Amino acid sequence: MIVPIGPIHPALKEPLRLKLQTRGEKVIGAEIDYGYVHRGIERVMEGKTWQKAVYLSERVCGICSYIHTQTFTETFEKIAGEEAPLRAQFLRVIANELDRIQSHLLANSTYFNTIEHETLFMYMLSLREPVMDAIELLTGNRVHMAWNVVGGVRLDAKEVHLKSIMNILDNLESQYARYPQMFEHGPLLGLRSKDVGYMSKEDSIKARAVGPIARASSITEDLRTEKPVYKDHLDFNVIWRGEGDNFARNMNRFDEVTESIKIIKQAIENLPEGKVRKKVNIPAGYADNRNEAPRGEVAYMIETNGNLIKNISIRTPSIMNIDACARYMFKDVATVADAVATYASVDPCIACTERVTIIDEESGKVHEVNGLHNVKSINLK
Amino acid sequence: MLDSLKDVIRKSSIHACLINTGGCNGCDIEIVALLSPRYDLEQYGIYFHNNPREADVILVTGPVAEQWKENLQRIYAKAPNPKIVVAIGACPLSGHVFNQEGSAIYPPLNEFIPVDASVPGCPPRPTEILGALLAVGPDAIAAKGRQKE
Amino acid sequence: MSSVIWYLYEFARKGWVENFAGAATDREIVESPDRFRDFPEVIRELCIACGACTAACPSPAAIKLVRTNDKDAENGEGITYPVINTDACIRCGFCAEVCPTDPKTLRTGESHLIREEFTILPAEKMFVIDDYLCIRCKKCMKACKVEDAIIEEDNKVMIDQSKCIACGECAKTCPVKGAIKGIYISNVEGQKDVINLVIHTLEDLIEAKQDELKDLPPEQIMKFEVPFADILEEAKGMLPEEEQIRDMVEKVTDRLKLRIITWNDSKCNNCRLCVDDCPSGAITYDEEKGVQRDANKCLRCTTCYQTCPFGVAGSYVARFLLTSTELQEDKIMVTVKPALLPFRG
Repeated sequence: MIVPIGPIHPALKEPLRLKLQTRGEKVIGAEIDYGYVHRGIERVMEGKTWQKAVYLSERVCGICSYIHTQTFTETFEKIAGEEAPLRAQFLRVIANELDRIQSHLLANSTYFNTIEHETLFMYMLSLREPVMDAIELLTGNRVHMAWNVVGGVRLDAKEVHLKSIMNILDNLESQYARYPQMFEHGPLLGLRSKDVGYMSKEDSIKARAVGPIARASSITEDLRTEKPVYKDHLDFNVIWRGEGDNFARNMNRFDEVTESIKIIKQAIENLPEGKVRKKVNIPAGYADNRNEAPRGEVAYMIETNGNLIKNISIRTPSIMNIDACARYMFKDVATVADAVATYASVDPCIACTERVTIIDEESGKVHEVNGLHNVKSINLK
Repeated sequence: MLDSLKDVIRKSSIHACLINTGGCNGCDIEIVALLSPRYDLEQYGIYFHNNPREADVILVTGPVAEQWKENLQRIYAKAPNPKIVVAIGACPLSGHVFNQEGSAIYPPLNEFIPVDASVPGCPPRPTEILGALLAVGPDAIAAKGRQKE
Repeated sequence: MSSVIWYLYEFARKGWVENFAGAATDREIVESPDRFRDFPEVIRELCIACGACTAACPSPAAIKLVRTNDKDAENGEGITYPVINTDACIRCGFCAEVCPTDPKTLRTGESHLIREEFTILPAEKMFVIDDYLCIRCKKCMKACKVEDAIIEEDNKVMIDQSKCIACGECAKTCPVKGAIKGIYISNVEGQKDVINLVIHTLEDLIEAKQDELKDLPPEQIMKFEVPFADILEEAKGMLPEEEQIRDMVEKVTDRLKLRIITWNDSKCNNCRLCVDDCPSGAITYDEEKGVQRDANKCLRCTTCYQTCPFGVAGSYVARFLLTSTELQEDKIMVTVKPALLPFRG
């Protein structure tokens, strides 16, 4: 029997159709219908200058909007063969990690809402608000920050801003420790989360899962370790776990928040002096660039003629994660309610997924609908 | 007498449903932020169920993607009377940056369903959404309810 | 039972009463930080109508330049200013960043404090093909680096502005001088000033030589030179870069054809034929002073020259060329010759 969920459903914040195949109470598989938020962003970006397209890249996704602009601008810097000033790179790290904290807290709160644990849901949201304040203080908007430009960042951070961000982080750190413990030791939460939606390491490689979802299944990949500014100046650990279930995915995000707080504090303490923006002359060329978004790997492939964007292709993490969820996590889930919770635990971001690529679920083929022949596809390790 | 009693009831308990018609999520998470203890939407008697069948207020975000052209009217018909539609963000009003050559969106929203109020901004701050909802919502629902009778 | 006790304890606490009495909205809910970018604020008086904000805005319908009615304004000229459409504005603050006025016309958050020394607009020059001069040799199409950037449509060669990268290769290969023009996008107001300056200076110089012109026999031309340095010195206040001024002056003098009208009062017999014919009312008749011409009102239409039976009005055409040689200083060569209209002596 097939149980349809969505596109408008109390459990889903974003439109998507889940078709759960059930036998009795058990969920044995799932089919996913996309296409409810397709806007054609990449097509709109073509033939525009980066000054205008950067605002479009920001609106690929509202939750992880910062990393999209960062990857976009870094790709142009790569084409030009230049790097942003070091102070700008540090400021980018600060904003990126603040964005990661709020995204992880939001993702966990959605999971707790889905398993009807309203206490933790409210705790997560109230923890998230000061972080949003910090983002707004630094960049000028809560969601779409419009802070990155090719060659640096738009506004410098003042001493006042850094001080109040430090305050906010200190407060957050002092309150934070009890919530992962509540989740880890709470017996009812454990019943709903442990051993539900299991995905093995082999399956996650097959599904090409990325980010915290893959790292919950013993994959120790984090693209931040490859970025020069993280590698040379900042000290942090890659968080990973081996359980591969809903519990591991959420704990992974909980632990990454602690790690992000650590990174921001280091970045603020070691913030170098200097300019935050420089002029970059962009020649004609092609480059691709990858970055670690809150949900995993985001990749931009851009071809430019020196002024306008000729071709652009964006690869966002959610599409792989949702695919992994549908194919490998829904194998043996006890109830439909657990299936929805599993779906929420992969932190799906539908706005990210739908631009031009259509995935045929039955044959597993990927159809490109806008004919980007000259953009290479990136293979995961 | 009965009317004013109905007004009080309609004003004090409003159930809202959120429809994302292809937006970037920004407005949706700002609405989720409204549920947080700081803004606490429920203290004003507004509840989120995301279920059109029990909705008094339909909040619409996003610039109406291809799939929603027909589905919007179906969802609107499913909501019981009296109902009001509030467009959140700049997308349903004009489509802003998406509304350019090559995109697959069909704004504005009021070509598909009647819109009673709108909150501009990309995305609007939670306070702006809250202010608009409280200024418009209860009275508009009460007024619409009286119209029907 | 325990919850009842908890409630009793909670109500009995003094702190609860204080909190209840002093309840107020949290500060952070009502206040927004300094950097928060609201819809841009417009200060109308500062706007110079350059169009930088409309060109820069990523949202197509968000910002528009409007002009107030000329008749309503006190000095007879309305003001132009941008209007923000809040329905489409995405509050990115880019318009405030690119606004060139000082202080800025558009303000939002702290975006209006950004003032970069490099132009934010994508290209300095825009290339267009003058259809009047184009000989359709299609050399530019072969020279163009970008595929399909120069296209032929309806037997017209055009540049597709969405694909052009403003490299300037086409202008180099074009065999006709001035058929492909590189137009500077920035400093439009300054460019206008320079054009006016060049034309006014040259015309004044020729007007000053009226007496020589009057005596110029038919089928003869008058030549003289104007040093370029004088004009350059004055234009430096209007445009920042010398190269751009040079480019502007060259473009202006290339295609400029000035009509010069001379007025020889001694030949006038007060027949007043020209007074009625003049379309702008520049020629008037006074019983004491006779027929008078106001040079400021004159349109240089040469109607008076064609009407006058006595040859009072003279019509001449002036042409210019900017020469640049390494040996001597840059000069503008001026050539004035009688108009090729039927001559009445």
